[in-house]
Amino acid sequence: MLIATELLTELMSILPEQQIRASGSENHPLGNDGRVTVYPKSEEEIATVLKYANDNGKTISIVGGGTKRGFGGLIESADILLSLADYTGIVEHTVGDMTLTVKSGTPFKELQEYLSKYHQKISLDPAWPEYATIGGIIAANESGPKRLGYGSARDAVIGIRVVYPNGTVIRTGGRVVKNVAGYDMNKLFIGSMGTLGVISEVTLKLRPLPKYESLILLSFLEENLEEIRSFVIKFLDSMMEPTSLELLSPSLSERVMGQNLYTLAISFEDVESSVHYQEDFVKNIQPAKTKMTIFQQTEAQSFWEQFYRIGPNGTKYVVSEEIEAALKIGVVNLDVLQVIKESQILQDSYNVAVAAHGGLGHGLCQVYLKGANEDIVSAINQLRDFVTRLGGYVIVKHLPLSLRQKVDVWGEKPSYFFLLEGIKSKIDPNRVLNHKRFVGGI
Amino acid sequence: MAVAKEVETKDKHIKNLANIVGGAQSILYKKEDLLAYDCDGFTIHRHLPKAVVFPKNTQEVANVVKYCHENNLPFLARGAGTGLSGGAIPLNGEVIISLVRMKRLLSVDLENRRAVVEPGFVNIKLTNSISDKGYYYAPDPSSQYCCTIGGNVAENAGGAHCLKYGVTTNHILGLEVVLPNGEIIEIGKNGILDPPGYDLLGLLTGSEGTLGIVTKITVRILKNPEAKQTVLAYFDKVLDASQAVSDIISAGIVPAALEMMDKIAIEGVEAAAFPVGHPKDIEALLLIEVDGISAGIDEQIHQILQVCKSRNVREVKVAQDEQERARWWANRKTGFGAMGAISPDYLVQDGVIPRSKLPEVLSRINQISEKYGLRIANIFHAGDGNLHPLVLFDARKPGETEKALEAGSACLQVCADVGGSITGEHGVGIEKREEMLFIFNDEEIIAQTDIRDVFNPKNLLNAGKLFPTPGRCVEVKKGMKEVITSSKHKIL
Repeated sequence: MLIATELLTELMSILPEQQIRASGSENHPLGNDGRVTVYPKSEEEIATVLKYANDNGKTISIVGGGTKRGFGGLIESADILLSLADYTGIVEHTVGDMTLTVKSGTPFKELQEYLSKYHQKISLDPAWPEYATIGGIIAANESGPKRLGYGSARDAVIGIRVVYPNGTVIRTGGRVVKNVAGYDMNKLFIGSMGTLGVISEVTLKLRPLPKYESLILLSFLEENLEEIRSFVIKFLDSMMEPTSLELLSPSLSERVMGQNLYTLAISFEDVESSVHYQEDFVKNIQPAKTKMTIFQQTEAQSFWEQFYRIGPNGTKYVVSEEIEAALKIGVVNLDVLQVIKESQILQDSYNVAVAAHGGLGHGLCQVYLKGANEDIVSAINQLRDFVTRLGGYVIVKHLPLSLRQKVDVWGEKPSYFFLLEGIKSKIDPNRVLNHKRFVGGI
Repeated sequence: MAVAKEVETKDKHIKNLANIVGGAQSILYKKEDLLAYDCDGFTIHRHLPKAVVFPKNTQEVANVVKYCHENNLPFLARGAGTGLSGGAIPLNGEVIISLVRMKRLLSVDLENRRAVVEPGFVNIKLTNSISDKGYYYAPDPSSQYCCTIGGNVAENAGGAHCLKYGVTTNHILGLEVVLPNGEIIEIGKNGILDPPGYDLLGLLTGSEGTLGIVTKITVRILKNPEAKQTVLAYFDKVLDASQAVSDIISAGIVPAALEMMDKIAIEGVEAAAFPVGHPKDIEALLLIEVDGISAGIDEQIHQILQVCKSRNVREVKVAQDEQERARWWANRKTGFGAMGAISPDYLVQDGVIPRSKLPEVLSRINQISEKYGLRIANIFHAGDGNLHPLVLFDARKPGETEKALEAGSACLQVCADVGGSITGEHGVGIEKREEMLFIFNDEEIIAQTDIRDVFNPKNLLNAGKLFPTPGRCVEVKKGMKEVITSSKHKIL
């Protein structure tokens, strides 16, 4: 407590008092907390806090909306929790050039709502868009089912302003959509989990809002993965252009549409004639023993809005007997079938509730688990063994701190870990930022 | 097995390198043989390499690199040598590691939409190998008939169709890399997305051969679009053409390509090998391609035609068949070389601007042209704002080369002034080292050289590229500081 008081006093000499708050005595069960929380309102203030910490041997944890508070990190509390909640707003929107520069603490949904007035959008579909900030989405490289059609943060971000631990502001990329001047430093910060710098501004290239969209839910009445596989291969080999081709586990399908069946969520976004044409294509190759539901426009949108809220949300954490976990799994595209099946099997063998989905066109799965401590740990380990045999990886995206200390969040270090470590050491030699939040304890 | 021929030299490094790559048939070291390697597509700077080696596999590349690393020999990798910014020029008398013998297509996995190639594999060959199944590789630099995918990775190459489909970095799923100390690493195993850790794939792509040598590449392949339509539109005023570009984008259309050529560029392409009969008195033409689901294409083409008409187009037409489309594209894609038909020499520049600033930028480029008394043609990937001013000059006239270089640099300054970039797809190389300071400050340059130092601490790999000399001065100062600090440690 004494330390916190001293820290408070020192911070008050560099920031207005109302932007500093001492934390309560209780620690957050998700960790990644700070003894003192600061709310900078400008890039200069972010830089001042970082420089102070860097010069005085303090550590900083960074938070945006807090949805990913349970994502990585082995430390209960850093000295300072740097919240970007008050660093929000649009810096520049050039409608004709379809580019947007925005402060990192801006909630994603707010941005999409603003852009929709101009028939534009950021082509990302992250979870919990009303809470998740653009900075957090970029720092955690968050993407959703529509990644198949949209690409990911690395495809949308064209420029970043990032505050280095020593307080220097570095611009990477630029404000134009095509740019190869120097190293592509944008990439370094996307997915770096805030371990290299504090992203203060992001410039994104925008896309036009689709003129029309629809969603086909194709449920398979029998648990025959071979049938799903042959349908998917046939569909992928066609010239149709789905924005998502997501397989839902029966348990997840039950939850979002009341059908305890393997279900494919196929979405189309284009001009109306093209969307209907593609629906017709799917109807024509519809396999026997399947059920098809088609949602148009707002119905499709509401399905997805609900879908983005199925995983755990770090801002809504409640302590309970039942632990929630979320995993991101990467495999070769069609291996998604096996991962979703294996997840469904786990449900029975470990007494955990499992909901899973994965993109057959991009190979990324999300698996949500709910159950008792030990069961969750065993289930994660089991799934990781399975995925490793497929040549893929498992990242734990959400788990209480106490369990994160037992389960390796990031899995085994890559063989080139020394390069990651080298980059961290160059930029943050004093390990000020989000210490131990990333791969191999970076 | 053929007996390895001996090299005829006393140079021990040449002898040793020859041994590593399997004898005299896999190394060039005589001056007359090296001359062809003293520059790449950027011909203004030249320097002879120490030798050129032709490894056949990753292990040989690694062994060569290790040898150079241990013996402090500068080295660099080279593909087809089509780079336009001098990235493969052996400024420091490097050992050139030519990757042209590593040119196999290793595997194609259509179901998971990816292919694995060696770095010397020529870009267009990938599409040719899979087109019968209805698939293609999207990045299509104009030199795709001869440039290699390894070189594309080094330069993060673009192309006319990257407006909709992205540049090389958006299509790379995995890389096998020989690091500057000879160690072999694999990033993006099995081509699986988002491998845990910093995005080294993204960092290496476009690093212009200064961080490592790529020896195996996993790329994404795409299914051909169901339909494709191409429009050609002639405008009497550049302003109308550029407003048509904005209108098309604002209408929510994402064309696969949206190209513009101005009057001088048209004069060039019409005088060259693939004329299509463009009128000589128009000020600009647009070449617009839309692809995707057949049912949606007509609507988009209709909209595009409407936009052109509302912007006073003189004539606008849709390609009637694949043959006509191919002729239009051949005319455009050979646009740089076509300048040779109207000028003894030309310099290609590669700036990027926010699309909306095009009229302003073109008028400032006109002023530059007048100031230097040199004609400047403009070929423009209008959809993504990537401008290629082509400065026409005559190198035989004393001082004109220098004037052309200055004019080119002035064009880049204009791009930077309006919030753009100094290169959209050709890279910095030697050519634009100094212009890096138009868009980055010293600290931002150092942030980049810091990253290079992690991969390439001895800076033997492709040194002297990418970064400006003033930045280097700061680096040297910083380096000295480190030396002083470390010696202090020793004393203490």
